[in-house]
Amino acid sequence: MASLSLQHINKTYPNGFEAVKDFNLEIEDKEFIIFVGPSGCGKSTTLRMVAGLEEITSGTLKIGDKVMNDVEPKDRDIAMVFQNYALYPHMTVYDNMAFGLKLRKVPKDEIDKAVREAARILDLDKLLDRKPKALSGGQRQRVAMGRAIVRNPKVFLMDEPLSNLDAKLRVQMRIEISKIHQRLGATIIYVTHDQTEAMTLGTRIVVMKDGVVQQVDTPQNLYQKPGNLFVAGFMGSPQMNFLDVQIKEKGSDLVAVLGKDELVIPAAKAKALKDGGYVGKTVVMGIRPEDVSDTPNGSMSSTVKVYELLGAEVFLYFDVNGTQITARVDPGTKAKTGDPVKFDFDMEKTHFFDKDSELVITN
Amino acid sequence: MSIQRTLQKCMEDWKQISNLDFCLLQEDNSVFVTTCQKRLPSLNKLADFRSDPALCIANSTYCLYKILDRDELLYILIVWGSSENASTIGELAVCQIRSLIEAYSEKNDKNAFMQKLLLGSYNEVEAFNKAKKLHVSSTCQRAVFLVETKQTEDEHALTMIRNIFSARTHDFITSVDDKGIIIVRELVSTETYANLEATAHMLVDMLGSEAMTQAWVSYSNVADSLKELANAYKEAKMALEIGKIFYSEKNVFGYRNLGIGRLIYQLPVEICEMFIEEIFNGESLDAIDGETLNIIRTFFENNLNLSETSRQLYVHRNTLVYRFEKIQKKFGLDLRTFEDAMTFKLAMLVSGYLRYTNN
Repeated sequence: MASLSLQHINKTYPNGFEAVKDFNLEIEDKEFIIFVGPSGCGKSTTLRMVAGLEEITSGTLKIGDKVMNDVEPKDRDIAMVFQNYALYPHMTVYDNMAFGLKLRKVPKDEIDKAVREAARILDLDKLLDRKPKALSGGQRQRVAMGRAIVRNPKVFLMDEPLSNLDAKLRVQMRIEISKIHQRLGATIIYVTHDQTEAMTLGTRIVVMKDGVVQQVDTPQNLYQKPGNLFVAGFMGSPQMNFLDVQIKEKGSDLVAVLGKDELVIPAAKAKALKDGGYVGKTVVMGIRPEDVSDTPNGSMSSTVKVYELLGAEVFLYFDVNGTQITARVDPGTKAKTGDPVKFDFDMEKTHFFDKDSELVITN
Repeated sequence: MSIQRTLQKCMEDWKQISNLDFCLLQEDNSVFVTTCQKRLPSLNKLADFRSDPALCIANSTYCLYKILDRDELLYILIVWGSSENASTIGELAVCQIRSLIEAYSEKNDKNAFMQKLLLGSYNEVEAFNKAKKLHVSSTCQRAVFLVETKQTEDEHALTMIRNIFSARTHDFITSVDDKGIIIVRELVSTETYANLEATAHMLVDMLGSEAMTQAWVSYSNVADSLKELANAYKEAKMALEIGKIFYSEKNVFGYRNLGIGRLIYQLPVEICEMFIEEIFNGESLDAIDGETLNIIRTFFENNLNLSETSRQLYVHRNTLVYRFEKIQKKFGLDLRTFEDAMTFKLAMLVSGYLRYTNN
């Protein structure tokens, strides 16, 4: 397996479209790195540049110690699994996995060893003689992964490999991929637009938007300490609530003014806001739905617009100072659609962002 | 598989079953296929047999058979052995070889027919008659896919595509030149353009992961009859060309989704040059520095929103305004207004097209 280094990588297409801008990342050996972001953010383009399926306009790509910018894809010692795959319908599972190696004229005994080992890892041993039409969706997906595993590459590149599966199968396969990563001890770069997939699979996540890396961090840090408004909004479902608040001094405290309510800001956050010169200014306050609690003694009140029961939890939607927010509460809540609701924010868990630059002031 | 390999495989099988050896000689008496290294009959004997009206002769060591195709002598089959068994097996082998040759020549005819059809070499009646003869449906719907790979003469790509569609016996796959592969896909009534798009994406992804090559795939509109296939091929070709000029960030181009690129592509080069001359006052897009062009592109991507552009580029709003005023002074276009922005965007696209045609 191998480490990767992407230094100042840019991709500009002949028509002038800049897909990736100054991408920098060091990937450790055996890391499971996730590229996540909305459609068109440049995550797949970056992956394809690593694969050699797109030329790098500028910057340096290294796999191990070797610069790979001008190396052909087949010579990069990588394997890819993409969203849109097809199995060869007339071939058995064994032959489907062996086909790529046969094309590369790998000796038969080596192919046999590689296929059987991949089948063992993927629990496909008993299905090697089956044709694709006799396989379930999950088994087919595993065969597609097997085609990558038999190459025994230094790096696995996966571009939304689970997107075409239904929700239930996707969850199953997510667990499978996690297991495969552990078994192979491989370096994996995985592209997805699904933040749940990103959070559950990755050792580190690269959040991208408009071709620019927004933040690189562990799933937990991205969730708890987002670097800007975009990351805060993108990671987490339902997404973080954002409210415009004015920062005001009140005695020795700093408060966030939200309509008629004044919310006391905890000391550490207050210091950061004060030091940043935000007193008297409007900033964006972010709070996650689970940090909004409905309580009979709540200091704020509103009317429930929508009540959503998801079994283990309930989402309540209501307006605060003209902005709709979401609260993730206990299913035992008495509140229903149209009811008045009293609630509180856990101010220790709030995040504050600069309104213009959208960068975080304090988490 | 070539006819020679197919025949070789058959003969090996016959040998295993019958314990007899077989050999097929061509017109010049050279060995086409054989299962052994046994001594061949003398040239004189072979010449005598060719001139003899008999279709089969036998002696104590071997039997000779003529393999005919439409009364024309194609091969001579030698079966070593003298028993009655050998002559019966020899006759069965002749039947089998003739069937194989017929099937193979039909397949070859089909390939040639499709290639000519795509090039528009048949009129409607010819196409219909020929299709009927070759058992090619003339009424079903089809679409033409054109695949281009980065690597030239990519045998892996062709092999892989043939294998993907191996279960679809009515599809036609052939390579056009060093880089291109044509797929004529017979469609079922439920297939939509979304399916065609998905097939094209699947091809790009499969070529990337299995053949490990960058690929571009275009596809035509649906052709309702055989005669429309020539037009469909032109559509796929045009889609690939237009796509690579105007939408170079994509790998899949459908003829029906070519947008404004299709319009510009149809314009005569002189008209495009006049337009650029008019917009850039005798200069070109190259007169604008890369940084400013990047600002303009981002500004357009953000629907002429100054604040969003400034946020994305980490450039102060006033700096953007200053840059746009400079452009206005130079070319008379205020990019903050919709009409001028649209004119400039068109000029950028036309410049890209001219750059392509000049290259």
